Amino acid sequence: MRNKRSATIITGISLAITLVLGYLMVADIGKPDGRPLNTLAPAGSKAWEIQDLIVPVFIIAGLVFIFVEIGIIWLAARFRRRPEDVDGVDEPAQLHGSTKLEIGWTLAPSLLLAFLAVFSVNGIISQGKADKDAIDITVVGQQWWWEYRYDLDDDGKPDIITANEAAIPTGRDVRFHIQSRDVVHSFWIPRLAGKLDAVPGRTHVRVMDALEPGIYEGQCTEYCGLSHGVMRMQVKALTPEDYEKWLELMTTPPEAPKTDIEKAGQELFVAQCSFCHQVNGITPTDTAPFTYSNEIDPDYGVTNDSPLLSRNAPNLTHLMMRQHFVGGLLPLYQGKQEAVVNPREVYEPNVNNIKRWLRDPHEVKPMNEQNLQGMPNYNLSETQIDQLTAYLLTLGH
Amino acid sequence: MALTEENLPLELESGNSAAIKTADPLGVFARPKATTGWRSWINTVDHKKIGIMYGGISLFFLLIGGFEALLIRTQLAVPGSKLISADLYNQVFTMHGLTMIFLVVMPMASAFANYLLPLQIGARDVAYPRMNALSLWIWVAGALFFNSSWLFGGGANGGWFNYAPNSGVTFTPGYGIDFYAVGLLIMGLASTVSAINLTVTVLNMRAPGMTLMKMPVFAWMAFITQVLLVFALPSITVALILLMLSRLFGATFFDPSMGGDAMVWQHLFWIFGHPEVYIMVIPAFGMVSEIIPVFSRKPIFGYPFMVGSGVAIGFMGFGVWAHHMFASGMGELSVLAFSMGTMFIAVPTGVKVLNWLATMYGGRLRFTTAMLFSMGMVGMFTIGGLSGVSHAFASADTQQTDTYYIIAHFHYVLFGGSLMVFFGGMFFWWPKMFGHFLDEKLGKWMFWIMLVGFNLTFGPMHILGLQGMMRRTYTYTKGQGFETWNMVATVGAFMIGVSIIIFLANVLISYRRYKANPVDPGPDPWDARSLEWMIPSPAPEHNFDEIPVVEELDEFWHRKYGHDEDGRLVRIARTEDVTQKGDAENVHLPSPSYWPIVMSVGFPLIGYGLIFNLLWAIPGAICVIAAMVGWVMEPSTEPHDDHGGHEGPADGSDGPTAAAADLPEGEGESSDAGDDQGELVGAASGAATASAQTGDTADD
Repeated sequence: MRNKRSATIITGISLAITLVLGYLMVADIGKPDGRPLNTLAPAGSKAWEIQDLIVPVFIIAGLVFIFVEIGIIWLAARFRRRPEDVDGVDEPAQLHGSTKLEIGWTLAPSLLLAFLAVFSVNGIISQGKADKDAIDITVVGQQWWWEYRYDLDDDGKPDIITANEAAIPTGRDVRFHIQSRDVVHSFWIPRLAGKLDAVPGRTHVRVMDALEPGIYEGQCTEYCGLSHGVMRMQVKALTPEDYEKWLELMTTPPEAPKTDIEKAGQELFVAQCSFCHQVNGITPTDTAPFTYSNEIDPDYGVTNDSPLLSRNAPNLTHLMMRQHFVGGLLPLYQGKQEAVVNPREVYEPNVNNIKRWLRDPHEVKPMNEQNLQGMPNYNLSETQIDQLTAYLLTLGH
Repeated sequence: MALTEENLPLELESGNSAAIKTADPLGVFARPKATTGWRSWINTVDHKKIGIMYGGISLFFLLIGGFEALLIRTQLAVPGSKLISADLYNQVFTMHGLTMIFLVVMPMASAFANYLLPLQIGARDVAYPRMNALSLWIWVAGALFFNSSWLFGGGANGGWFNYAPNSGVTFTPGYGIDFYAVGLLIMGLASTVSAINLTVTVLNMRAPGMTLMKMPVFAWMAFITQVLLVFALPSITVALILLMLSRLFGATFFDPSMGGDAMVWQHLFWIFGHPEVYIMVIPAFGMVSEIIPVFSRKPIFGYPFMVGSGVAIGFMGFGVWAHHMFASGMGELSVLAFSMGTMFIAVPTGVKVLNWLATMYGGRLRFTTAMLFSMGMVGMFTIGGLSGVSHAFASADTQQTDTYYIIAHFHYVLFGGSLMVFFGGMFFWWPKMFGHFLDEKLGKWMFWIMLVGFNLTFGPMHILGLQGMMRRTYTYTKGQGFETWNMVATVGAFMIGVSIIIFLANVLISYRRYKANPVDPGPDPWDARSLEWMIPSPAPEHNFDEIPVVEELDEFWHRKYGHDEDGRLVRIARTEDVTQKGDAENVHLPSPSYWPIVMSVGFPLIGYGLIFNLLWAIPGAICVIAAMVGWVMEPSTEPHDDHGGHEGPADGSDGPTAAAADLPEGEGESSDAGDDQGELVGAASGAATASAQTGDTADD
């Protein structure tokens, strides 16, 4: 038979190369080290469900891939025209088709897909299910950061408002109620669960849990304008005991500024920042001295006429309780971050990052403040930056 | 002049038949006469010239879109790159997508459909030749209009999907998205016109004996594409009009605080957007199904199933749009339904791939550049198809959607699946279009560099996506683990750039070689199967000397070959004996016209008017209305015309039935002189008849 031997050899070699290259490509694809967003390194049970569904699909797809690609190589090698071939002599048989084959290769994949569809349907339904003791957190997307609200006593008013970094307890389902204040965003913590869009005017619920403590990176995944590319967020999973501590700290107001520089910073904050940023107990209409008054309400934050609400920018009341800022983009503390209840007790604040941000926000994250999108550059003097930094560092425990 | 008499009833509808017979409708333009030079291209209604212009202009936009792609890849080569700003990046990726979809892949498919459809079904031209020109020029006008936004503050920056409410003026001021809305509306008009035209052409203009099931696969696939366009475009048109009203006139269709709904846009867009994917790839299916049999010397395997699977994909393509929205929160039931639908659309696509493989099986494969591109397509498209199936598992898709995994997927479908075949198709049909070959050696270099570059660019994106790199990001940071594969992808992208340069060099070199030493490739350089290879290369203006009577699928092949008792191929006729000479005279063809281009100039003016100042719309509207009137007044085939040496007064082809008819020979000589006189008289009395005409129109 023509070309038979060479075709077998060529096909064998290509198959070997494909398998080796394929193995090298997928060998470490599922490891989380240095890949904080890796969907193939699940850390939550919802993400594991997805992993268990899709890996067999990838394997089947891989087999079909090898069949078709190696098949093409084999066909090319086996049936290639040789230089000595002459048209009209020993021409190929003119096959027009085979109904049996056609029905076969229509039915076989249909049945396979129908079989897999059972698991797909199952997966879709179970993704939406949450345990009875699940906690609820509201997530609000805004250009280009995320706000989290915890309503601890179910009175409809939030008791904790924070930004970009949510804390959750391990081993317990969390229902994220995803909303948007402006355009469509998408809330995605790849190692914990799939993404879900934040659509203005709607509330979507994504259930997830974390099996181990840790900081899980996330990323907005629906294009939302200028700084979409750096609209990040974190979910900090704490052990249930740590989580209780965290709640307690987050509902306790931080100590008022003491030193002069801190007080000057606070004054500056009220003058420059408080129109958009909120620190509970402080409003832009307050007059000096700006202290956390004794009027702080047990319901947290009543000195504002509106219920606790950030206006256009993140609520900074417990800024230093977070381990990242600038829409989750920059670490607020030095060194490699583990999930801790109160980072201030463990790490040194990263003052440089704070100052870099205050000096020129646009350099870190593109903003479009002419259109009221994002933080303006106020061209603060170095003194002012020092004062503000000193003040911001007091916002924690 | 019997035929003129026959057509009088048609002409009478627009009033005074005497006035219509003038050579200068409305007294503005003399009927165009040029048969050479740029004028012959501007006013042509010849489907072949129109097809070539579609192709040439889309190649130009391929360079622009490719440049944008290289900007994207250069920006993403290293983490934290400051090469271009986030704002510019957002414009560039948006314009890259829109350019590649609406200004490259779709028009390139149109180029082949326009050029080949009439030839493959044995017709003289399309059903409505002037409308054909109109669709080309509207598309060109829309494309230029759309790209002119770079001069007015920047391109659109909302992504090609342009989700509301980010697309509203509140969040995206500036003109980019206005140009998106109006530009796509204009181009949608072009596609609609062309789709109706080609649908009618396929249904009405096939050669005698060519039943639908004897049409070449490419003709079938082009037909399915046009039907998809007819049904998909209304949805995007509605969406774009809502967007335009929202942006330019303050409507609130997508604003939830005013009772609108942001999801409306998503559904309207994807009801169009998913069939759009098939609109881009189905013509490529057809071309592969033409090329592989020729170079395997075997008929396409399972022709009815190839056709049937194409039809099935077309139908099912309308039922899967919401798989683009699995993460949009549209509700569990919708997700379930669309997930199932998406899974099973893989079946007909798989059937196609297996049929291509079966066509090659047992053949005698000649690895011309066209064949290499086609085989490459089968391999690359399969990868895109497989990753597509993995999206159908909706819960898993919430991890994949809007990541680079999707980018990898659709580039394997649209670049590996469509664009590569279009290049293959160029190598295959170049001799038919231009009368000379493209250089095969350079072609093979191009193929291999493109194939390797393509896989280096988009292969790693599967990994990047699964490891969490999201789409539409202007940068990424160190520590996310994206560095290596992004660098590889950028290197690959530049390899693709090199392969495109080789292609352009090939075009130039081959042309020069042909000019220096013209060698006729003959009507049938590849020993091919379908009717377009029966006629000389390049195809003569009148296509067929004599419309062939079709008895079988692959009619031309069966005129050359039969088979013996064992089913083996036996030649029964020499190619020279079954091809046509292209020397027929007195074939009447539709006359060229200025009105299509006049009308299409109007649309961008109206567009500028909508965006900047409504006064601009007035000249635009005048253009459109004047062109309509002129068009109606102008007979599709000039009674006194003798353009191109093919003298003949007849309706030509705005009436489908007339197109295939030949003017009885022998009449030409005698009527020639008379017609010339008539022409002169007509021109001299232009002014008088023009006023008569305006009078008529006013009376109507």
